[in-house]
Amino acid sequence: MWEVNVLEKTIYIRMRNRVQSRPEEKILLKDIAQIIAPDAGLSSLQAMMIHQLTEADRNMVVIDVMKVIHLIKSKFGEMEIQTIGPAQTIIEVTNKKKGVSIPFFLLIWFLLFFGSAMAIMNFHDDVSMKSVHEKIYTIITGKKEANPLLFQIPYSIGLGLGMILFFNHVFKKRINEEPSPLEVEMFNYQLDLDNYVIIHENKESMKRLNDDD
Amino acid sequence: MTTIKIVAVCFFGFASGLAVGSGFVAFLTVLGIIPRLTQLTKTMKMIQHYEWAVVIGAFTGVVGSLRDPLLNISVYLLIPLGITGGVFFGMLAAALTEVLNVLPILVKRIRMDGQIIILIMAIVLGKIFGSIFQWLYFVHH
Repeated sequence: MWEVNVLEKTIYIRMRNRVQSRPEEKILLKDIAQIIAPDAGLSSLQAMMIHQLTEADRNMVVIDVMKVIHLIKSKFGEMEIQTIGPAQTIIEVTNKKKGVSIPFFLLIWFLLFFGSAMAIMNFHDDVSMKSVHEKIYTIITGKKEANPLLFQIPYSIGLGLGMILFFNHVFKKRINEEPSPLEVEMFNYQLDLDNYVIIHENKESMKRLNDDD
Repeated sequence: MTTIKIVAVCFFGFASGLAVGSGFVAFLTVLGIIPRLTQLTKTMKMIQHYEWAVVIGAFTGVVGSLRDPLLNISVYLLIPLGITGGVFFGMLAAALTEVLNVLPILVKRIRMDGQIIILIMAIVLGKIFGSIFQWLYFVHH
């Protein structure tokens, strides 16, 4: 009997990792957390205002679970609160969804295109690829050939094929659906950024004991 | 005296081979090309054979580059050799790009999170173009 009572008085919250929001918006509890609570208080919990975004917040706000617990306690003092998962939510304040600017995109595309073309030519020169190709040609056929194109053209196509294989984007459906190393890398980078933001934007997570240093 | 010289030369040759060989394997390991290939083909159990493939391949390369053998085989064998060698270098280049972490940062800067593939294709086509351009035109000038 007692256990049932405890369960009925418990609010479970799980903070979301990242939330995107427009400027000047009111952040409600249901926006930043998943909630399990007794039916009676659920709707007022969901609509509870946690934060009002202002100009001063700029484009990142971190809401700590302690703040949420504090607010819930002040309204539902008798309830027990259980938190699960992340201890904070990052609110990303985005203006209107900015489209990709086409000239900018084309610039980057050609930058990468000519950059990698030049890089591979430098690499070939650096490692004397030409003489190695000639040597392989001579080993296989026994003849000398200054332009072993029969080797070099397949080699060039294979070069691109190898990169595609490594990133596994084009054949994703056919080979397997694991994320490509680049997607994992993007995810790790985002995770690092989030960790930085969590510690640096969250005033509560860094506190100086003495103010004079 | 000559015995000492021979032993010394053997020792130095062995030592430099050891250094280059372990460096080569360490380089391949850091770039993670073999795990990537086994992951794509789901052949993790064959990893030991892949190690041997690398070792035997490197040894064949050493013999080929130091002894100048002549095999007198068909010229068309060069096509599969070219493709496989190219794929290997392509994966090497892709892995190097990834180690430097350039693309995630670039993609985030220009807000194109959904379409990395377009940027990858820029690099891939650039590599193919650069390589073919070099062999068809650049080497003659």
